Amino acid sequence: MSKKKLLVMGGEAIKNQVKGPVTLHISERLEKHPPPEDIRTIPRIIEEKCIMCGTCVKVCPTHCLWMEKDDKDNGMIWLLRPQCMWCGHCQTYCPKDAIHIDREPSLSVSLFSFNVRQDYEMICAKGSFKGEKAEKKLAEVIEEGAKTIKEIEEFRS
Amino acid sequence: MSDALSELENILNITIPKDFVEEVVKVEEGHFDIISPFEKAYALMKILHDDAGIYHLTTISAYEKDDSFNVCYHIQHRIEEEVKEIPINFIITKIDKDNPKTPSMIDFFVAADYYERECYDFYGIYFNDHPFMERLILPEKWPDDVRPMKKEYSWEQIREITLNLAKQISEDD
Amino acid sequence: MAEDFRSRFRVLTDGSDAPLGADHHIFVGPQHPWAEEPAHFIIHVKGERVVEANIRIGFNLRGMEKAMEARTWRQNTMLIPRACGICSAVHQNVYVRLVERLAGIEDQISERARLIRMFSCEAERVHSHMLWYGILAHDTGFDTLFHVTWRDREIIMDIVEDISGNRVNPALMLIGGVKRDLPKERADKARPMINDLIKQVEYHKKVFTEEASIVNRLENVGVLTKEDAKKLTPNGPTARGSGLPYDIRKTFPYELYDDIDWNLVYYTEGDVLATTLVRLDETLESLRMLNQILDRLETASGELLQRVKPRISEGKYMTRAEAPRGEDIHYGIANGTDKPERYKIRAPSLGNIDATLKRMDGEYIADMPVILRSYDPCFSCTNRVMIINQSTGEKKIMGQDEFALKAIKAKKYNRPFF
Repeated sequence: MSKKKLLVMGGEAIKNQVKGPVTLHISERLEKHPPPEDIRTIPRIIEEKCIMCGTCVKVCPTHCLWMEKDDKDNGMIWLLRPQCMWCGHCQTYCPKDAIHIDREPSLSVSLFSFNVRQDYEMICAKGSFKGEKAEKKLAEVIEEGAKTIKEIEEFRS
Repeated sequence: MSDALSELENILNITIPKDFVEEVVKVEEGHFDIISPFEKAYALMKILHDDAGIYHLTTISAYEKDDSFNVCYHIQHRIEEEVKEIPINFIITKIDKDNPKTPSMIDFFVAADYYERECYDFYGIYFNDHPFMERLILPEKWPDDVRPMKKEYSWEQIREITLNLAKQISEDD
Repeated sequence: MAEDFRSRFRVLTDGSDAPLGADHHIFVGPQHPWAEEPAHFIIHVKGERVVEANIRIGFNLRGMEKAMEARTWRQNTMLIPRACGICSAVHQNVYVRLVERLAGIEDQISERARLIRMFSCEAERVHSHMLWYGILAHDTGFDTLFHVTWRDREIIMDIVEDISGNRVNPALMLIGGVKRDLPKERADKARPMINDLIKQVEYHKKVFTEEASIVNRLENVGVLTKEDAKKLTPNGPTARGSGLPYDIRKTFPYELYDDIDWNLVYYTEGDVLATTLVRLDETLESLRMLNQILDRLETASGELLQRVKPRISEGKYMTRAEAPRGEDIHYGIANGTDKPERYKIRAPSLGNIDATLKRMDGEYIADMPVILRSYDPCFSCTNRVMIINQSTGEKKIMGQDEFALKAIKAKKYNRPFF
C-alpha cells in the first residue's frame, strides 16, 4: 500500500519536474492567454456622428466624462482616462452609435496609469471648440488636478 | 384584497383576523406583501410564527414613506416536502417620524437582533422591548443625532460629517 | 427564544459581558493574518475549550445604499457588483431583475440573454467555491491541496476572462439584457476547459473525502444541528450542510433554473465536512450546468438588449438569488424618477455569522480557524457600506491602530478589552 503510494508520489514529482512551473511570468502569460481585445479599452467618439446630447456623460457611473457645448455642432467632451473602468455604458446608451470601444490592443496596456488627477484626454471637439479652445480647457483641468494633488499631500503630512 | 388574503391563508393554513391587516397584496405567484399597522404587528407576527411555523427571517429594511417610517420584515414560509419558499414582505406602516417606535420581533427570530439594530443605526427607529438597542455598524464617535440614511441628509452632507469626524479623531490622538 | 439563543453581535464595550466560566479571552482582528477581512472576533475560552464566541462588525462601512440614492438606475448597474469582492455577478443579476420588474419588461428578456446571465452566475459560483475550499485546505495545514486547487481555479478564471474581459467582475448584465454576446468560437474554446476542470474537481473531492489528514480535521468539528440552524437562520451552504434543503434556484426559481437539469445538494451531518462537501458537489453541479448552458446557447436566439427608459415607474419589489455564500436579497423602491428612492442590500454573510459562532461552543481552540472559515467570510458583504474618500481612509487606519494598542494592553494586563 505505502509502496504504491510512494510510487505514485514519485511519478507525480517527476511529471511536474518535466512540465515546468505552473506559474508564468506576466508577459509569457499574456502571450499564451491574451485578454480579449475588444473589451479593456476606453471609449472613442466618431465626431461626425456625435450630436452633443450628453447621454454618455449622464450614464457614466464613474463620472469620468465631462462636456461643454454651445449647440449640437459646437462642443467638446473630455475624459479622465484612469477613472474609466471600461464598463461600456456610453457605448450601450449612445442614441447615434457614435461611441465605440477602441480595439487597438496596444492601448489596453498603456491604460495602466495611476495619475487619477491629471491624465485627461480630449476625445471629441467639434466646430468652434476645435483647436485652441479645447487645448486651453485641457490645460486648465490638468492644472486643477495638480492643485488637488498638492492639497491631498498637505492633508496627509 | 380579500382574494390575496384568502389565498395566503390557504397557503399558510391559518386564519388572519381582519383588523390585523391593512392590506394583503399578491406581488406575483407565491410572493406576498402583508401591510399591517404597528399596533397589531406583534400579534400578527405571533400568529405567523407560532401557527404558520415561519422561522426564517431574511432581513429587515426600513424606509421613509411620506411623513412616516415603514419597516419591512422579509420572512420566508418554507415548505420542506415540496422544497418551496413563499417570500412574504411584512410591512409595518405609520411609524411616527418624530418619535419612531415599533415592537421588536426578537421573541420570534434571533436574527431580528442585528437587523433591527441596523435600522436603529441608520434611521433611529427604536424597537420596543429589544434588550440591547445599541450601535452596530456606525463608528463609535459618530454623532448620535445624525441618522445617515434619512432623506434630510444628502450625500454631500454625510461626506462632510465623515471628514469632520476623521479630522477630530486624528486631532484627539 | 431570546433567552436560549442570544445573538452573537452583542458585545459590550466595557467587557462586562464575558461568560463566567471563561478564564482567557482571545481577540482576533480587525487586523489579523488569519483573516483578510476586518471583523473583530472575541473568543472566550476555558482551558482549551471555547466557552463562547462573539463578533463586532462595522469596520468597513461604505455607504453604498446612500450612494445609490444619489445615482441613476443606469449608473447603479455598475456600482452594484462592487457590493461584494467575489460574488459580483449575482448582485448584478438580482439588481437587473428587480429593475426590469419595476419597469415592467421582465417577460421580454430573451432566452439567449438569460442563458448568458446564468453562465456568468454559475462560473462565479465555481470560482468562488474553489477559492474557498483552497483556503480551507490551507487553514487545515494541507498547503499542497491549496496550491493544487488554486492552480485549477485558473481554468475557470480564464473562461470568465474570455467571455467578459475581467477575471472576477464580469459585469455582463444590463437592465434589459446583457452587454456582450457569447459567440460560438468562445463557447467552443470553453467546453474542453470545463471538461478538464470537472476531472480536477472530482480529484479534489476524492482528496477531501479520502485523505485522512484533512478528513480528521473536518469531521465532527463544529456540528450545527438542524434545530439550531432553524433558529439561527443561516443560509446557503451553511444551512444546506445542516439539512435545510433550501436553494433559491430550486425554491423560488429565477432566470431559467427550472428549465435546466440539476440536482439540489444537501447534507444532514451539520459539521464542517458537510458544508465542504456541499460546496464541492455544487461546484460539480455548476460545471455540468455550464456545459448545458453552452449547448443551449447554440440554438437559443433573441435580442440581447431591450430598450428601457431611464425613468422607472413607481413601485417596490423584492428579489432574491442564490449567491455562492447563500441567499442574496435586494429590496428596491422606485419613485418615478431616474434615481432609486431606497435600495436595500443584504448579502449572505451577515445572516451566517450567528450560526457559525454557535458552532464554536465547546470546541477546541485549534479548530477555530476552520470553523470560522466554514461560512466563507466576506466582509464587504457583511457591512457593505463603506467610507467615501481617500482622506477618510486615514481615519480608519488611526482607529485600527488604537484598536490594536488596546488589544495588546488588554492581553498584557489580562483584563477585559476596552
